[in-house]
Amino acid sequence: MGEFTSRHLVDLFRLIALRLSEARRELGALDGAIGDADHGNAMAEGFAAVVQATSAEDVRAPSEIMAIAGRSFLSAVGATTGPLYASAMLAAAKQIEGKTALSAADVSGLVPAFAEGIAKRGKARPGDKTMMDAWAPAARAVNEAAKAGLSAVDQLRRAEAAATEGREATRAMIAAVGRAARLGARSLGHVDPGAASTVIIIAALQEWLGLQLATADGEGH
Amino acid sequence: MSLRTGRPAEDEDALIPLRFGDDPLLWASWLYYEEGLTQGAIAEQMGVSRPSVNAYLADARSRGIVSIEIAPDRFRTLTIAKALRDHFNLQDCLVIPTDGGERSLINRLGDAGAKVLARNLRSGDTLAVTWGRTVLSLADQISLPGLKDVRVVQATGGTTAKIPWTPEACASHLAKALNARAIPISAPAIVSSAEMRTMLMNEGVLAEQLGILAEAGRIVMGISSLRPESTIHSSGFLDGGMQHSHYQDAVGSLVGRFISARGEPVIGPMHDRTIGLDLDQLRRIPQRIAIAGGMDKVAAILAALRGGFVSVLVTDIATGRGILNAEGYRDLPRRTATAPPPPLNLRSDVKKLINTPKDAVDEALQGVVMAHEKLIVSVAGSTRAIRAINTPQPGKVAVVIGGGAGHEPAFWGYVGAGLADAAVVGNTFASPPPDPIIAATRAVHGDAGVLYIYGNFSGDVMNFEMAAEIMEAEGIKVRSIITTDDIASSPRETRFARRGVAGTIFTFKIAGAAAAKMLPLETCEVLARHANARTYTMGLAFEPCSLPETRQPSFELGPDDMEIGVGVHGEPGVERRRIETADTCADLLLDRILEELPVIEGEEVALLVNSLGSIPISELYIVLRRVRQRLKARGIRVHHSLVGAYYTSLDMAGISLSVLHLDSELKALLDAPCASAALVVQA
Repeated sequence: MGEFTSRHLVDLFRLIALRLSEARRELGALDGAIGDADHGNAMAEGFAAVVQATSAEDVRAPSEIMAIAGRSFLSAVGATTGPLYASAMLAAAKQIEGKTALSAADVSGLVPAFAEGIAKRGKARPGDKTMMDAWAPAARAVNEAAKAGLSAVDQLRRAEAAATEGREATRAMIAAVGRAARLGARSLGHVDPGAASTVIIIAALQEWLGLQLATADGEGH
Repeated sequence: MSLRTGRPAEDEDALIPLRFGDDPLLWASWLYYEEGLTQGAIAEQMGVSRPSVNAYLADARSRGIVSIEIAPDRFRTLTIAKALRDHFNLQDCLVIPTDGGERSLINRLGDAGAKVLARNLRSGDTLAVTWGRTVLSLADQISLPGLKDVRVVQATGGTTAKIPWTPEACASHLAKALNARAIPISAPAIVSSAEMRTMLMNEGVLAEQLGILAEAGRIVMGISSLRPESTIHSSGFLDGGMQHSHYQDAVGSLVGRFISARGEPVIGPMHDRTIGLDLDQLRRIPQRIAIAGGMDKVAAILAALRGGFVSVLVTDIATGRGILNAEGYRDLPRRTATAPPPPLNLRSDVKKLINTPKDAVDEALQGVVMAHEKLIVSVAGSTRAIRAINTPQPGKVAVVIGGGAGHEPAFWGYVGAGLADAAVVGNTFASPPPDPIIAATRAVHGDAGVLYIYGNFSGDVMNFEMAAEIMEAEGIKVRSIITTDDIASSPRETRFARRGVAGTIFTFKIAGAAAAKMLPLETCEVLARHANARTYTMGLAFEPCSLPETRQPSFELGPDDMEIGVGVHGEPGVERRRIETADTCADLLLDRILEELPVIEGEEVALLVNSLGSIPISELYIVLRRVRQRLKARGIRVHHSLVGAYYTSLDMAGISLSVLHLDSELKALLDAPCASAALVVQA
């Protein structure tokens, strides 16, 4: 069940953009503690640009929409998050290449694909206090849950829990890369804003897929 | 000695020596605390009863005549130890100062661990011991030969790794020092398969040894971080097994087993191949003494505490405070401290003269090209790229600079003849993406190659590198200079990791002058690198800045505080202290720079006293004056002084001081003519 076209992807981006926009202040405050207070805006504006760019497109293959999303995010944001999420979306585009529609499993599979793209570009290691400390455990959670035969929504639920735990674990980490690295031990006790926005994105994925499947079930009855 | 004894109490006042005035409390206190007399002797000398002396002394304390101070460092160790003990429900906790002169932290932790063990160990005990540098250091420092029938047992199997602190060495050294019987575990810590482990554990000798291990009533252990720099990776103990993805959730290691940030066991393929105590057995040992310190171990120690694997902790102040911070604890106020002033003046929404945050950068840039239309123009099709009017110049190296918005007049202010050919600007405090960098490069390159110059921030590095790759693919030769002048952001040994801040404009000037002399790309690159290597910047702020999007201060600073070592993006600095006078601030910045600056008497420097946004220009001159006085006293000549807002951080109230260490080559390039919006040097 669940056949998703590029139109659905645009809708998914819209939900992510909305959730990030709602969290602007909260993310900005986290970033202010150890960075320049701009992370909330960068993420919200970036996904807003993605929605704008992808919804302007005529129907194309999901992988093409994903690639357009990556390029538009990069152009809108720059900074560090631009290249990282652009790489995430391009890795996801590659993974869904050749498909005309996506299954629910393809949607949960976006998490490991994003994680892979970010890891390749950012080269952050576990414990460096970056968004990878949320993405990596989330990706592993999806893979393990898929292996255990869990539904796509449950896979994403596990991913959200793992990412949340990863986000909290960044409190005990000393930033090793990025701007916060210059703070040394003063970054202790603070959550990494990149890990916090990761949780919001994965939660939005989970929420969106749940809504879609519920609607689809409703229509079936 | 003039003892006057047996006088009646009513004569008391007459007896008080002159220097104590009429104050019996002061006298009693003096005799007690300074002369070290007993209360009985004081009573005799003062001619009063002993209970009176006692009352005088109590009174003296409550009236503040005597104040008892505990050395701040000692006091901190106590408060941190108490907080750790209470929060993690420990039997006991010992915290030692982090800095301790000659001896390494490991040696001092080993010493402290030895004291803790000596206090707890009893005759007849069975003591398990793990391996590692700290544990070996403990074994080598303890001496407690008086106990009887103590057994020291290895907590894990052994290793053949060529390290001094193997499980065998730790157990045998400790047994020797305690005059105890040493029980080895006669098997490797990690064996080739689960079957092999089962077979070995059924062997009589090993089964007996493991039986003794199961009887251990205490354990002394280290805690390993799994960070790349941790010695656990080089110890050979892990046999490469850690690379396995099962262990990616692990943040620390205890007794050769792995735990997650929550303190839960991480079970992977090595689990069934490991011989020795497992984590459940560990938790059942009545007294579990962990000795570990170092900032890289904070996450691992915290995990061990959360998992309940530790009942007595020995660590140092910085690590202990790190653990508490990570748990959301704040420093406890000193007992004698007065209550801190309430946070006044916390701005909620900062006023901004903009239309909408989204348009602020673009609208400002539109105004910039209008104001400076004789010098610069937008690159066609790209609102965020600006070039000098007479570009491209065939045969000349093109200099392209850039970074986030919010640093005005950087970067467009340094575009013009004799300076940069183009500048690219991103969003506020965010690197530009590759697109406008590429547009600028195509617009200004003159077939002699392009030099990119930008500050060392991960975003700028990524985006400029992506652009450079694409330009190289188009056949345009690109070299990149990543500036690193900010002393506060990283120690001298890792200078390459420093941020690029206000001193970057010296590198712009040198590179621009070299390119204007039509020097080849390689030479321009070498000169720019040379300038960057000889530029040092240090900054401080009285107030944070606020972004147009958030309209919130980027960090909070108390009414009397200043932040040392701030970045140019509103990042907090490295140290906070009370605000000082202009001269003291100038000294603070200059002294840090002089520590690194290899200038010898008679050499020359160029100075930049820069406003980060809202320090009045007149105050910058006060600072310049002091810096010049100091340099004169040291015999260093100042060839050129720049004073003003050259590289800002929005509305931050702060300054930075940059020093360029000149040589004849750099001096000539600095003096070469240039004409841009922010910097003009006449021919």
